[in-house]
Amino acid sequence: MSEFNPRENYFALLAVPQSYEVNQADLSRRYRELQREAHPDRFAGASERERLRAVQYSSQINEAYETLVSPTRRAAYLLKLAGIDSDMSSTTFRDPEFLMQQMQLREELSELQSASDPEAALDAFYRDLDAAADQQKSIFSASYLEQQFDESLASYAKLQFLEKLRSEAELKESELLDY
Amino acid sequence: MLMQISEPGQTPEPHQRKLAVGIDLGTTNSLVATVRNGSAQTLADIDGAHLLPSVVLYGEEASIEVGEKALAGASSDPVNTLMSIKRLMGRSFADVTDVTGVKMSPYELLDLGQDMVKIRTRAGDVSPVQVSAEILKSLGQRAEETLGGELTGVVITVPAYFDDAQRQATKDAARIAGLNVLRLLNEPTAAAVAYGLDQQDEVAVAVFDLGGGTFDVSVLQLTKGVFEVLATGGDSALGGDDFDHALAQWFVAEHKLDSLDVFQQRSLLTAARQAKEQLSSANEVELALADISSTLSRQQFNDLVDPLIDKAIRACKRAVRDAKLRSDDIHNVVMVGGSTRVPRVRERVAEWFGREPLIDLDPDKVVALGAALQADQLVGNRSGDEMLLLDVIPLSLGIETMGGLTEKIIHRNTTIPVAMAQEFTTFKDGQTAMAIHVVQGERELIDDCRSLARFELQGIPPMVAGAARIKVMFQVDADGLLRVSAREESTGSESRIEVKPAYGLSDTDIADMLQQSWASAADDKEARALREQQIEAEGLLQALSAALLKDGEAMLSEDEQRELLAKMEVLHREREQGSVASIAKHIEIVGKASEVFAERRMDASINQALAGRRVDEI
Repeated sequence: MSEFNPRENYFALLAVPQSYEVNQADLSRRYRELQREAHPDRFAGASERERLRAVQYSSQINEAYETLVSPTRRAAYLLKLAGIDSDMSSTTFRDPEFLMQQMQLREELSELQSASDPEAALDAFYRDLDAAADQQKSIFSASYLEQQFDESLASYAKLQFLEKLRSEAELKESELLDY
Repeated sequence: MLMQISEPGQTPEPHQRKLAVGIDLGTTNSLVATVRNGSAQTLADIDGAHLLPSVVLYGEEASIEVGEKALAGASSDPVNTLMSIKRLMGRSFADVTDVTGVKMSPYELLDLGQDMVKIRTRAGDVSPVQVSAEILKSLGQRAEETLGGELTGVVITVPAYFDDAQRQATKDAARIAGLNVLRLLNEPTAAAVAYGLDQQDEVAVAVFDLGGGTFDVSVLQLTKGVFEVLATGGDSALGGDDFDHALAQWFVAEHKLDSLDVFQQRSLLTAARQAKEQLSSANEVELALADISSTLSRQQFNDLVDPLIDKAIRACKRAVRDAKLRSDDIHNVVMVGGSTRVPRVRERVAEWFGREPLIDLDPDKVVALGAALQADQLVGNRSGDEMLLLDVIPLSLGIETMGGLTEKIIHRNTTIPVAMAQEFTTFKDGQTAMAIHVVQGERELIDDCRSLARFELQGIPPMVAGAARIKVMFQVDADGLLRVSAREESTGSESRIEVKPAYGLSDTDIADMLQQSWASAADDKEARALREQQIEAEGLLQALSAALLKDGEAMLSEDEQRELLAKMEVLHREREQGSVASIAKHIEIVGKASEVFAERRMDASINQALAGRRVDEI
């Protein structure tokens, strides 16, 4: 466990290049390698102190992995590394195109209930949501690479909005499909 | 002492192999398994039985029976025979009163507010943790006797949806039983391990666990030895017992039997269960109660249980959707629980998932077998092909914020172990203390979540409002257990506290319980036990008197009546003056003596029902 340094940058820890594009396969391979070393199960017979350390290490590896594996959290982390505060609580949008897209998606969401085939309508909605998110992800990726952090920040905010819509849709889904 | 002879090259250094077992602590039955000669196997008791009924009987003179022997007490001493105790683990009175099965249980539950419910027995008020400890102790002993040595450690399985309180309660029970817990393992994960599915590259697996009284379904992702629980679901009030009830109801409707007493109901349910089991191989069975009977075909049975299986399938759909998968993404379906032996269940599962479920391993044993494999690895007996079991936290952890709302700190399905920090600040000038309320659950309102711990953070240096920076750390370990600590950061003054959630047992509680389990029955326990026997005797006498008044003349000869009355008279006397043991003894004598009477009353009521039907039909 000598090579493990919890204060290390998550990208370095998980041995993937520091950029928005990450190779998921590499990421999860390295994650599993690290957990195999650090997981508390490997210290089942060890002293209380060692076990506690293992819990802490293992938690940090989990935190690093879950940050990098999530498109939104990965974006926030990259912004943080660039010294940019990504707290979006007071963001307002001046992007009419995005506002329009948001309105359309919201409308689609509210009409789900009355659709003749709600399940199909939901699937269609998720597809639209994915497309919109993909668009923001590529904007983020490109602008971050060019260090256009204002643009990155804006696309990150939009990603968060889209994520919020998704969780609303998931809530609606469980109501609609009666489970 | 026997000399141990080992030939060179054979089982090198056998003494280095550590003894480790897996324990499936189930609602209805429990098992213990270990790895021997390279394969996992369950261990039998001296009578050759592998399943230990999860039943504990607090008998007279501080005797404690576990398993089959305790089960015998279910009818004669229902108040002191504790069953399905797993449903009460880590639960408060309010939590369990609406759980099916518990509500109908004959024993007295004590409302201890926020704390875990207790059960009033003749041995005093016992916690579900103590009851589970008895079961674990019995299995631990069985293992040590069979394996001939002390156990290094055990892996105990818990349902994937068990929250912090339930996990902590399970771990505490093991501690009281004197077992070293290597790991709490999720039951579905254990089942998948038993099938060796961890050897596969990247597959999604559904574990379908239909027991006697509960149904659980879990969706797991296995990637080269790494297990991740993606979603869990189920119905805590659906199981094979419901199949028996459906059969019994059908029989009652067929014969228009409308007033079955408790004894008749019990025999009918037993007959229904047998019929169900026979229908797993036969195409047709006879279901009979006294002298009336019906033929039941497998098709009829299927129609009766289909609505119940529908519920299970619906839960599967939901779990698969929660895992963000589709039914055809599931590569393997593992069957767990005795009720998956019902062919119709297998058919419906195969139909919905579009593939045949795995049934090679005994569905009753599969969880214990997987736990044994994991235990073997954790003590270091297995090397090389090591698997890594990464579980997730089943319910979100959060804290109370203004207005009775929850703020989630750790979201459900986050891989554990996990640590999260949250910063708080003071809202008043000079504030030196702050209350923190930790909850678990998915709901927005604090009242809809489970309260885990309340604690006060003290010794904050006095500052202006908003200046203090209090960092609260939430650490969940690999067993899913939470620890909270806090620290004031801005001044560097480390007022650090460790919080173990309040619902569980404190270390002193556990010490007390250990003490209690050694100490002989205390006086107040004796007094309570006496009172309970008196109540039981009274109840029996009253019921019998009423029955004699109504049917005594018609159904018993004069001699029989006299004999029964004489025994009742003795019990009446004992009730006033006797000891716990003597009252219990005479309750049993009267119970036995009245058996013939009860039987005749049962026959008569059935005949009456039949007669009534004939009249209807004419």
